[in-house]
Amino acid sequence: MRESLNWCPDFEQLVDEHQSMVFSLAWRMTGDRELAEELAQDVLLELHRHLHKLRSADHARFWLRQVTFHRSADALRRKRANAASLDPDVWVELEERHGLVEMDEETSLSVRIEELLATLPESQRAALILRYQEDLTPEEIASTMKAPVATVKSHLQRGLKLLRIRAGHSLREYVRGAQ
Amino acid sequence: MFVERNEMTEQEQAEFERKLRYAMQHRAAPLGLKQRVLARAREQRKNVRGRSWAWQWVAASTLLVAIAGGGLAVHEHVEEQQKGEEARQQVLTALRITNKTLDRVTQRLAYSDR
Repeated sequence: MRESLNWCPDFEQLVDEHQSMVFSLAWRMTGDRELAEELAQDVLLELHRHLHKLRSADHARFWLRQVTFHRSADALRRKRANAASLDPDVWVELEERHGLVEMDEETSLSVRIEELLATLPESQRAALILRYQEDLTPEEIASTMKAPVATVKSHLQRGLKLLRIRAGHSLREYVRGAQ
Repeated sequence: MFVERNEMTEQEQAEFERKLRYAMQHRAAPLGLKQRVLARAREQRKNVRGRSWAWQWVAASTLLVAIAGGGLAVHEHVEEQQKGEEARQQVLTALRITNKTLDRVTQRLAYSDR
């Protein structure tokens, strides 16, 4: 309560602090860098309009995650509706396409994991992104996704399992190579 | 490390999750994103201020019109009251004159009867 009364947000500082989180979340949710950039800009501008309603730094972070998540999910659905026949892998944008030419073992493994992550069903992918990118607990993920905790736990378990199965040989080889 | 069986040991699970966390570190925001956001936010503030000015202007104008209208109505009411008062005075004067005239006629009639 005391924090809410004393909190005087500096918009520029908030943008500085959260722009990479907002952008990363939007990119991993949509698999489209340009769309993610557009979404990040819209979400941060919406933050500017809603600044007076936010009560603390934690509230601002929660608000940003929630709005970015829902905006990204909406954008993804619109995009899917416009290109219903495309293969899910179309959503994947690899780091290599953005100029990351030389990668160490760890980075190339990361790219492969991200690529595989993008092929998961949306709800499982979202839960995994919020869990491993944002380090949220299942309860916090449930609150962000506005879903029951049990559903989130199920998405996490199934998503991890599916990711591991899809990883198959390629991940095993990467990991072996890294050892 | 990653074997094809369905279940993972705790150690394998922990290693897999470590890889996931590493893979999902925040990416750097695109260059210029912050500047674009700040510029648009400034525009938003300007527009809001402009709209606020417009609303204030409209509110002030409405208030002025209301005051002027009210003043006019009060003026008309006072004028009507004054006219009414004048008419009342005229009627009273006429009644007084009539009354005096009747008194005089009554006096004359009484005199002539005597």
